[in-house]
Amino acid sequence: MTIICLSFLIIGVFLSLSNNLQFLARQLSDNLAVVFFLDKGLSPSDTEAVIQTIRSSSHISRVHYVTPQEALRRFRQRFPQLQEVVAGLGLNPFPASVEAVLKDKAAESAEILNLMDSLRRVKGVEDIQFNRDWVERMRSLSRLARAVGFFLGGILVLASFFIISNVIRLNVLARKNEVEILRLVGASNVFIRIPFFMEGIALGVLGSLLSLALIYGVIRVFPVYLGSSLGALQEIVNFRYLSLGQSLGLVAGGAVMGFLGSLSSLARFLKI
Amino acid sequence: MIELYHIWKQYQKPAWALSDVTLHIKRGQFCLITGPSGSGKTTLLKTIFRELVPTHGQIIIAGKNILRIPGSRIYQLRRQMGIVFQDFRLIFHRRVFENVGVPLQVLGLPHKEIRRRVFNTLRMVNLHHKIWEFPASLSYGEQQRVAIARAVVNNPRILLADEPTGNLDTELAFEIIGLFKEINRQGATVIICTHDKEIIRRFGERVVFLHSGKLIGQEAA
Repeated sequence: MTIICLSFLIIGVFLSLSNNLQFLARQLSDNLAVVFFLDKGLSPSDTEAVIQTIRSSSHISRVHYVTPQEALRRFRQRFPQLQEVVAGLGLNPFPASVEAVLKDKAAESAEILNLMDSLRRVKGVEDIQFNRDWVERMRSLSRLARAVGFFLGGILVLASFFIISNVIRLNVLARKNEVEILRLVGASNVFIRIPFFMEGIALGVLGSLLSLALIYGVIRVFPVYLGSSLGALQEIVNFRYLSLGQSLGLVAGGAVMGFLGSLSSLARFLKI
Repeated sequence: MIELYHIWKQYQKPAWALSDVTLHIKRGQFCLITGPSGSGKTTLLKTIFRELVPTHGQIIIAGKNILRIPGSRIYQLRRQMGIVFQDFRLIFHRRVFENVGVPLQVLGLPHKEIRRRVFNTLRMVNLHHKIWEFPASLSYGEQQRVAIARAVVNNPRILLADEPTGNLDTELAFEIIGLFKEINRQGATVIICTHDKEIIRRFGERVVFLHSGKLIGQEAA
């Protein structure tokens, strides 16, 4: 039972980590704004022309023009301790900018890079800030966490499969006399096999349920005892609850593994 | 009802456990098969029960060649038969009630019906007062009667018994064979393997003699 539970626990923990990274990637992606910094001294009509060009793109959902004054106000709000530095400059160092929010899935499309290239060449645009790489990195990290989980968990699931298979084999041997009697009094093969299948399935389901309970425990306890010591990594190395589908999948996986373990054992050791 | 045609059975070369045995047993007959140890009595019984498949020959039961029944469907044949083994083959961690009820349980009968039939059968073998005991707490003769009850609880058409009185004293042996006679009177075909001469003398309606796997003679009362 320990190994069965451990194998599902490992899959579950990595799944939970991966969920968190997916969540972060989605959050980044949702808030993904492209910021177009404009040349200083751009006339209002030129500024309006740039805004119109950006707005007309099919991947942009909305735009917001940020004046140098608003940029300064935001800076003061976010970094009050640096107010004196800006005051010491004697002028507003921030350029005007246009913040554009991308449409859903636009960040993932290949066309977006071409769009950025073409917008970079628009007269009056000095620079573009686009954090697509971070979203990609987060997504790759999430995929990696999931793959590692399935790889390690897969090895242990295989071990569990053999353990269940052996448990059933021992039970078959221990109940050999009873099985023989059942066979002789007219029990069908299905009648004889069902209790062993049930046993295998019960082992798999109990193991996966136990692992779910442990994952729940880890998710509750982790932030309290370890989370704060991770500092900046805390956001990334965090656990997120498994979805209902994932939890049911884990339990179903346990049941299937238990069934297959019994099946393999019965095929080899219960000749009826 | 039971027809055996030229049955040969070989476990290991070159010896034959059964050699060209042809035998017909009519419906409702009480048949004793006898012979010295190693004469092939048990092998013959096991081939009728399809626990063993003969090397050659045909076995027809109720018009059906039982050797053509696929392994996965043998249970259907066995549900029509009851068998009592010399070593009883009881399940020792189950109570008398459960042991006797096993053939009904595999038929999927409701619990109430199983309870009724088990109780009636145990009353027939005079063991109804031990229904909740474990086999280990019963005497040898009582265990034998539990095995008989299990064999007859589903009213089989054919009842087979392999040396059912092998280790019993004469009085108990007669009592057990008397039980088989009673079951036979109710319509079942009964085939018993025994080497007890006294039983053959007292109960032998029809006796089949085996020696070294060969059928060497038959007697009918």
